[in-house]
Amino acid sequence: MHRRLFLYGAAASTLVRGQGDQPAYRVVTPFKAAAKPGMPGPYPGRVVRVHADKSIDAASRSVNQDTVKQMLAAGMKALTGDNRNEDAWARFVSPADVVGIKVNCSGAPNVRSSPEVVGAIAENLVAVGVPARQIYVYERFDNQLRTVPYAKFLPAGANIVAAEDSRGSILGYDPRVYVETSFFGEDDTRSNVVRLVSNTLTKIINVPNAKEHQASGVTGCLKNVAYGDFSNVARSHRFEKTFTYSFIGTLAATEPVRSRVVLNVMDGLMGVWHAGPFSESERFRFYPKQLMIGTDPVAMDHKLIDLIEEKRKAENAITIFDRSRERLGDPKDPNFNRYIREPGHVEYASKLGLGVFPSDQIKLQVVEV
Amino acid sequence: MLLLLAAALPGLLWDAPPDTAPALREAGITRVLVPRARLSAWQNVAGISAEPADPQPAVKLRPPGVNYRIDLGSASRSPWLDLNGWQYQRRPQGRFTYEAKGAQAALAAAEAFCYGGSAMVHPDDAGLKPFAQMLEFLRGVDKPDMPALADIGFLDDGSPAAGEVMNLMMRENLLFQIVRQPDPKLKLNVRLGTKDFPLEDAKNPGVMAHAVRAKLTDEKRSVRIYGSLVVVARVTVAPDGLRVHLLNYAGAQRKVDGVRVRVLGHYEKHRLAAAGSPGEELLDFVADTDATEFTLPELKTYAVIDLSR
Repeated sequence: MHRRLFLYGAAASTLVRGQGDQPAYRVVTPFKAAAKPGMPGPYPGRVVRVHADKSIDAASRSVNQDTVKQMLAAGMKALTGDNRNEDAWARFVSPADVVGIKVNCSGAPNVRSSPEVVGAIAENLVAVGVPARQIYVYERFDNQLRTVPYAKFLPAGANIVAAEDSRGSILGYDPRVYVETSFFGEDDTRSNVVRLVSNTLTKIINVPNAKEHQASGVTGCLKNVAYGDFSNVARSHRFEKTFTYSFIGTLAATEPVRSRVVLNVMDGLMGVWHAGPFSESERFRFYPKQLMIGTDPVAMDHKLIDLIEEKRKAENAITIFDRSRERLGDPKDPNFNRYIREPGHVEYASKLGLGVFPSDQIKLQVVEV
Repeated sequence: MLLLLAAALPGLLWDAPPDTAPALREAGITRVLVPRARLSAWQNVAGISAEPADPQPAVKLRPPGVNYRIDLGSASRSPWLDLNGWQYQRRPQGRFTYEAKGAQAALAAAEAFCYGGSAMVHPDDAGLKPFAQMLEFLRGVDKPDMPALADIGFLDDGSPAAGEVMNLMMRENLLFQIVRQPDPKLKLNVRLGTKDFPLEDAKNPGVMAHAVRAKLTDEKRSVRIYGSLVVVARVTVAPDGLRVHLLNYAGAQRKVDGVRVRVLGHYEKHRLAAAGSPGEELLDFVADTDATEFTLPELKTYAVIDLSR
């Protein structure tokens, strides 16, 4: 049973064969790719990093909302080359769109997509004509989402929605769209897409945090739209083994997710350099005071790897690429971890066409506000 | 391949004196099984009929439910289910008893009904009302003799090891029936101690159940359950379709919010009866050429879905 997939007939399904120790995946979806899928979008290999020293006060963790707005505008203009902020946003959304803002609340209430960033994005959507009622801030788990005061920063009428009102409920997921595989012989072999994503949204703006992740190495753009948009994903980890290497990219590449994620805004005002994603220890949080913006999730996540590795090096912690069993253990020590991390998932995703991975092909533009 | 179901409703085993009758009446109990020594005392109690019962020779079953065993390390994320369906299959003519607390009494009654077992349920005071409510539901489910659907023939040698393998197969929703000899009409026959299913492997019944699943293959499984680790399905065959029984083994604590079911075969019509959820409708019903799928939005303890062409 281990790592085998048993197939049955289904329309609109694709078999992704397993390589090495990776499982085979059966991707079932009635959705076809858009003519120009959102990922990697119009700016493959491009990453804009906007830094502002006064964006967040590390002591109080208070975010300067005006600075965040300036950072976002500067980043969008740098990415698109447009002089006007509205023109930059209009490249990605139109008034007819129903726009999801995929936040990350897995470390909430301590670490999460900042409501100030989310609010600034929503403000720009409204500015280009998207009605507030067509804006959905969403996440999988209601109990995490509700700990963050998004409503305070959103225009009246915007929606805040969780896929799982009660933990484990499948009703918020679309039975038509799933990735099927068996990692460890588990009986429930399907991971279904969030129903809101497939049934309601026409565009998605992905707003991950800059975090290390105990299983996948980092949790950035790719993981936020993969594990954050599908059910039953924790089954990919057991003991020290995790199949995040291939599962993250496979999920992110599944339609309609791949086509509808049109923009990534990575919140790096505060980050987590170890024991992510939940960040129970303040010791492992840090303050890069930056936003990363782009349409290429692979290039952005590569830059996230660099960011996390740089911080870990400064903290004398082992690299996230370490695969030695001797380093398995209690992550209270930054030189130990529960899993063999799989930061290679970012490069794997590039092979699925989701973006550009080689460093020498990524163009990073740094903007200071 | 087929096993006939009996049609009896489970009985309430009650060994307390007749002065407890008001509590029974308030719960909605109208019939009790009492020890012979108490029968005469119960015979003139208004509103409650009493029959003699002898629980001593009956097989004592585990109270059905979920045991999360958080004190034990496990190779699986699946919670441990205390289920007894395999016991009913091993002893189809047997007599069984449950000691059940609270809402477990309803689950015990549903389990016995689902597998057509002859069972007595001995609840505590808190279990009287859930038991009565479940009995009321079960009375409303028409119960023609319906043979069970099986993918696997299991040659049961009566050993504890074989029992544990059956337990795990049931927990994994692998539909089996006990056979005396391999049945070529079934998709797979399993005899412990053979090359494919060595006795050594049966020491870990979970491993053996996975081996059975691998041999059968998921594509040939008549029923699949998605979205819950605590739901067990039984499928019986009707003249024009199938009946899918779903038991929520966490039902004494919490309902399941959504369970997706896939059965092999094309069935266009459906009828649902769900205990405690009157008027509930199936969602996202899809009848493909080779399989039918649907979502039950809420499963409290027990539901019956009739599928027909």
